[in-house]
Amino acid sequence: MDSDYFVETKDLTKTYSSGRIKLTALSNVNIYLKKGQFLGITGASGSGKSTLMNLLGGLDKPSSGTIKVQGKFISELDCDELALYRRYQVGMIFQSFNLVSSYTALENVAFPLLFADVPKKERMKRAAEILNMVGLHERKDHRPAELSGGEQQRVAIARALINHPKILLADEPTGNLDSKTSRQITQILADLNKNQGLTVVMISHEESLLAEYADDIVHLCDGKIAEQETNS
Amino acid sequence: MRFSDYIEQSFSNLRKKKLRTFLTTFGVVIGIGALVCMFAFGKGMQKNMTEGFNKLELFNYLGVFQRSENNKSNESTQDPNSQNEADRRKRLLDDDFIIELTKIEGVEWAFPEIRFLAMIRYQEEEEFSLIQVLPARICQSGIVNFRAGTYYTSDEEYSLIISDSLLHRMDIKKPEEAIGKKIEVSTLAIDFSLDNIPNILSFLRGQGLPFSRQSYTFTIVGVTERMGMGGPTLIRSGVCIPYGTSKKMKKLPVTSISDLFVSTQQTQGYSAIGIKLTSPKYVEPVRKRMEEMGFNTFSLTDQIEEIKTVFIFMDLFLFAVGMIAIVVASLGIINTMVMSILERYKEIGIMKAVGASNKDVKKIFLFESGVIGFMGGIFGLTLGWIVSVIINVVINSIAVREGAPNMNYFSFPWWLCLGSIAFSVLISLIAGIYPTVRAAKIDPVIALRHD
Ligand SMILES: Nc1ncnc2c1ncn2[C@@H]1O[C@H](COP(=O)(O)OP(=O)(O)OP(=O)(O)O)[C@@H](O)[C@H]1O
Ligand SMILES: [Mg+2]
Repeated sequence: MDSDYFVETKDLTKTYSSGRIKLTALSNVNIYLKKGQFLGITGASGSGKSTLMNLLGGLDKPSSGTIKVQGKFISELDCDELALYRRYQVGMIFQSFNLVSSYTALENVAFPLLFADVPKKERMKRAAEILNMVGLHERKDHRPAELSGGEQQRVAIARALINHPKILLADEPTGNLDSKTSRQITQILADLNKNQGLTVVMISHEESLLAEYADDIVHLCDGKIAEQETNS
Repeated sequence: MRFSDYIEQSFSNLRKKKLRTFLTTFGVVIGIGALVCMFAFGKGMQKNMTEGFNKLELFNYLGVFQRSENNKSNESTQDPNSQNEADRRKRLLDDDFIIELTKIEGVEWAFPEIRFLAMIRYQEEEEFSLIQVLPARICQSGIVNFRAGTYYTSDEEYSLIISDSLLHRMDIKKPEEAIGKKIEVSTLAIDFSLDNIPNILSFLRGQGLPFSRQSYTFTIVGVTERMGMGGPTLIRSGVCIPYGTSKKMKKLPVTSISDLFVSTQQTQGYSAIGIKLTSPKYVEPVRKRMEEMGFNTFSLTDQIEEIKTVFIFMDLFLFAVGMIAIVVASLGIINTMVMSILERYKEIGIMKAVGASNKDVKKIFLFESGVIGFMGGIFGLTLGWIVSVIINVVINSIAVREGAPNMNYFSFPWWLCLGSIAFSVLISLIAGIYPTVRAAKIDPVIALRHD
């Protein structure tokens, strides 16, 4: 029974076991996400938001349950296939930006293309274009330490976009930013969603921000979906 | 990732930690340098040996000896029949035999190998020396390199040639100055003749052998070059005299102790004869023939095998020493790479998040250690070469003063140059395996949370 959902999780469960203690970070989560949708995820600290995000991004494997993206079971891929999935299907953005500190903005944006076998000249050309798009053309030769938090996050967004992903996963992208910059960053994600039809999942503590931009909002609590609301 | 990307990434990452890269590479440089230097020395010695042997046509040489009593009994237990026959046909190594030998196919010429102990006197200096009898023919054959003067032309002259190692002791600076100088050679002989009666009497009373001392005066006509270290030579004495003249001298041959008790009478034959063959291929047939006649033989083809074994052991030893340096250098690489991975923990997480596979991560770090090995190999080879040049200059400045010719003690065949770089890279890659596997195993989720 095929569905037209872009992302579909079924009884997604992740348990961490350190020694004899078992911790269920995520339990039986079912998420349905249509193509071009902007999904907001919120919840208390430790509720399993990042865990869910890492599973969707193919950085981690579920303990049980399945993830289907574009009809393909991500949860069944091996290491190398997951790498390809991360390389070509997903763009990820993090709270702490996760830029390579020794690279310039341009090199950071071009970094994913290195693994996609793109020749250096083209890597730099494409990276410059995308940096231009997020309004950072003048800062392309600066290293992360020389950029503001908002600028760093825009570099991270540019990097997430460089391989033309189908889905953008943002784990508290505004967590380290002031409210004005938070809105700017969220606006960029919303524009990408509107103008380019990019499917976006964004985690945030700020429900007001999600309420303003997201189509749907999922509330996580202790690894379970507590509430699901649809904006309209 | 493309090959050029790996190379570029490696260099740019290594450049970010210049001091650490330099120190690690330096460790490899020292190890490879030591290894290269030692190998080049071993190969150089081997090359000098072989070239020296070939140049002197020593592979065409076969020595023939009287079989000593010991050997005879050994052989007879193995093959009594043929031994009896050999005994029956036993020949003396005398002049007739030499003439007969020269008629054998492949024999260029044969000469008696005679060495004897004598006292040589130059002005006030007196010393014992082994004197070699060298027929004029052989002396002229180009087997001897002269630093000054030349060979004696006849076997009957009272002329001799000396090695330049003797010059030193004679207090003569230039070889040319020695030419024409007179040297007195005094021999000892066991003498049962009438004019030696006092000595014979004391011998009979058990007071020493009946020695008599004879003195002959020779003129120096040539000064030979001493061979460099590792160079082989037929000339194994400081003094060589013509064959005819030596026959006229009363003397004790000292090829073996038992020779002391063999009279100097010509009828007893020589203790050894050297045969020069026209080509090495005659060594085996002639040797077989000589052995059938009941003689012992010696050829340098036997020796060269032994020498080769010695060189293999020498190479192994040098290899072991170099390897210790390499192992230490490898530990340096492992340390550096592990450090680098710990420092770039988060970066590895980012790589994986943006789509690097475990293989990509492995290759990135393997390339880095490979680049360290490559640079270490190139600079190690350079260091080894520089050190070899210095050692060469030092050895030669000493050796030439001692009379040895100027020569290159090192050899850098192409395979040593390429091999040392390849080996350095290989070792570095092996050293990189552990850190690399560790890097690939890093969990991106944990690495990305890392600060
Ligand atoms: N590698 C791990 N090993 C053990 N427990 C873990 C691991 N990763 C996460 N957890 C636990 O799983 C639970 C969910 O963590 P998660 O990071 O998903 O929370 P979160 O909702 O993202 O919180 P925050 O808002 O603080 O980022 C937490 O209790 C956390 O301690
Ligand atoms: Mg989180």
